[in-house]
Amino acid sequence: MDFLGQFWNNVALGFSVAGTPFNLLLCFVGVFLGTLIGVLPGIGPMTGVALLIPLTFSLQPSAAIILMAGIYYGAMYGGSTTSILVNTPGESSSVVTCLDGYQMAKKGRAGPALAAAAIGSFVAGTFATLMLMLFGPWVAGIALNFGPPEFFSLMVAGLTVVTSLAGRSLVKALFATLFGLAIATMGIDNQSAVPRFTFGNPELLDGLEFLVVAIGLFALCEVFVNLADMKEAVQERLSIKGSLWLTKEDWKRFVPSCIRGTLSGFFVGGIAGAGAAVASFVSYGLEKKASKYRDELGSGAIEGVTGPESANNAAAGGALIHLLCLGIPGSGTTAIMLGALLMIGLQPGPLLFTQQPAFVWGLIASMYIGNVMLLVLNLPLVGMWVKLLDVPLYLLLMFITMFSFLGVYTMNNSVQDLYLMVGFGVIGYLMKRLDIPASPVILGIVLGKLMEEKMRQSLVISDGSVMIFLNRPISLFLLFLAVVAITNPYWKPIGRAIRRLFRGAPAR
Amino acid sequence: MFKKSFTMVALILLLCIGFTASSEGAAYPSRPLEIVAPANPGGGWDAMARTINRALEIEKLYPQPVSVLNKPGGGGAVGMAYIHTKKGDDYELVVYSPPLIINTITKTYPHHYNTLTPLAKLITDYQVFIVKADSPYKTFGDLMAAVKKNPGAVKFAGGSNPGSMDHLAFCKVAKLAGVNPKDLTYVAFSGGGEALTTLLGGNVAFVSSGTGEVLSHIEAGTVRALAITSAERRSGVLKDVPTLKEVGINTTYEVWRGVFGPPGMSKEAQAFWAKTIKTMIGTKTWKESMAKLQWVTAYADANGFAKFLKEEEKTYLELMTDLGFAK
Repeated sequence: MDFLGQFWNNVALGFSVAGTPFNLLLCFVGVFLGTLIGVLPGIGPMTGVALLIPLTFSLQPSAAIILMAGIYYGAMYGGSTTSILVNTPGESSSVVTCLDGYQMAKKGRAGPALAAAAIGSFVAGTFATLMLMLFGPWVAGIALNFGPPEFFSLMVAGLTVVTSLAGRSLVKALFATLFGLAIATMGIDNQSAVPRFTFGNPELLDGLEFLVVAIGLFALCEVFVNLADMKEAVQERLSIKGSLWLTKEDWKRFVPSCIRGTLSGFFVGGIAGAGAAVASFVSYGLEKKASKYRDELGSGAIEGVTGPESANNAAAGGALIHLLCLGIPGSGTTAIMLGALLMIGLQPGPLLFTQQPAFVWGLIASMYIGNVMLLVLNLPLVGMWVKLLDVPLYLLLMFITMFSFLGVYTMNNSVQDLYLMVGFGVIGYLMKRLDIPASPVILGIVLGKLMEEKMRQSLVISDGSVMIFLNRPISLFLLFLAVVAITNPYWKPIGRAIRRLFRGAPAR
Repeated sequence: MFKKSFTMVALILLLCIGFTASSEGAAYPSRPLEIVAPANPGGGWDAMARTINRALEIEKLYPQPVSVLNKPGGGGAVGMAYIHTKKGDDYELVVYSPPLIINTITKTYPHHYNTLTPLAKLITDYQVFIVKADSPYKTFGDLMAAVKKNPGAVKFAGGSNPGSMDHLAFCKVAKLAGVNPKDLTYVAFSGGGEALTTLLGGNVAFVSSGTGEVLSHIEAGTVRALAITSAERRSGVLKDVPTLKEVGINTTYEVWRGVFGPPGMSKEAQAFWAKTIKTMIGTKTWKESMAKLQWVTAYADANGFAKFLKEEEKTYLELMTDLGFAK
């Protein structure tokens, strides 16, 4: 009872902090800017939060984090918009959303896709906040069980998603994955400090930036394809057919995929700490396995939007648990937030909840408020965004190109990234003509670097014994999942064969 | 129409030339300043650059706008390449720390550190060696006894590649204790946070880390700091942590941070910064930032800094040759 009373006191304290007019305003500014930042390709939450650091110097710690957190999850909402409308991922965790989101837009169903992304994000964001509030320190404790071996096994399980990205030919998808994995080996090797495939170029020492490749392969590639087909395409407009809102049928399909996305996203991002991009891929793979409509995925199924978009928001919320309860940043953006908090003079970590209750609970309350604001802000925007599709194609292509360049440049302030992006645009074009899917490349890059790093760390810890992956229950379980995911298409035929065997005569 | 726009362009060009001409004539500083942080926002270099930026602006020490430019990549290599494109540009500063020397020795950087113009050493931070709260190693002596018995079995982790600060700090200690640093097993993570998670998860014996990342955990008692690499005891949360000297190893390890100008910075600009930096570290704003970030001002002027860097280079070269990292 005492615990409960304390809890309600904390919640009340939180809302009293977050509810001041000034903090409400900051929260709104944060989520609004975040949405914009998410919509603009390349300009991710990392850049957004970094730009605001000088501003946060003069703010109270709680006001500063409310603003930064607003940008952080606002960007997770906005990221899906351009993925759906113009096949241009706004940030790394919305790459998967391109797959079905853009197909839905092509079918004239951009409205429901955007609405599903917004509502899915809302549900997942609220869920993650609830978990942070109720079980934050407990979740952080579980997260510590994810050492390098568990991480490696999680990445292996994640790699099985490739079968669901395959499209028509699994061989081509595997080829694309290997290409991605190869790209992931570029840069200074973490365990030996030896530079690999850097060609003496200092800008390649950290490897290729994942968004440079993604924007090249998706956005620029789309521009090139449209340019090549210009004659026919000039007339084409992705005008809206039917309602902007979800139909009854849509809702029926939305609910289960949203639940799956939220839970898997929270697991991957919040508990394992693997980041929102991995979470979105895993969720897509899950939909391909678990959804009743799995065969429609890839050709514009609402599950392909709802799942990943819920997952990336749940993961983003989950990453905040790591930041606040452990003082350990789970993503690039939370790393910047940690830096900013340190500069304000606040030390996130195990004592934060007891030492700074007004700060923590103020943040939690502001996340509820921010999520509601985002929903209210984004649903009416759907009508506005879909009008964008009425812009003549040649103008739209120009905007896509412009924002791609702008976004990629601001990431590292590097001109070389622009050349690389154009290069990957050309590669993307060739791949499209050869019918090789682009998303496995991204999957390979996202998982490859981490997978190698974690495997080598594990092996150093175990003195070279691979048993470390099988000795540890969580790791073993994840590997088991991977095996199940790969073999499950063959179960039915094998089962049939066995039954036939026992019946004696082969049934023809 | 065409003619009109042509005139406009010509006018703008003329204006530009006019401005540059006037700024060339005026005394230093007459243009905005850019401070290069050779890493992403959130890390130590970025915090250093922004702290300087803030102090210069709030204390009105620089009459023009100041901004921070992040040039991340290659542990500072990209920033190094960038600052070398700004030869003789008096309106660029860059912040660096020991990796400047380490990466000069490994030839990861495209240039030698001594091409930069050292302006001042500003602060110093130290490394701590931490174990999990329930670790059997109660003191640094316990830990070293185990390391001496079987160096490879007591695995330690850090947030950076082998041959960088987290790794070298302990190698320096081990060498003095009579252990061949090559026999140690170091697990490299990307970022101090990851290394800390691994320690808390019970996967490694101890972690070598900068103080900042682990302060909250030391305070909370989830980890125990066995030794700190400073010459004297620190205050606050770290006041109970013994120095290396106290535990019988006569050395220190400094994580200094300093500010440099590009190659070929003019004498006039160097003189300006010598004076301005000295004023800056005495201001209230600077002292406040130091307290918040728990940094210690360790000022050395341009000459002192240059001499210090030479000594650092010698120490690192010796240590890294032993480990086979020097090229």
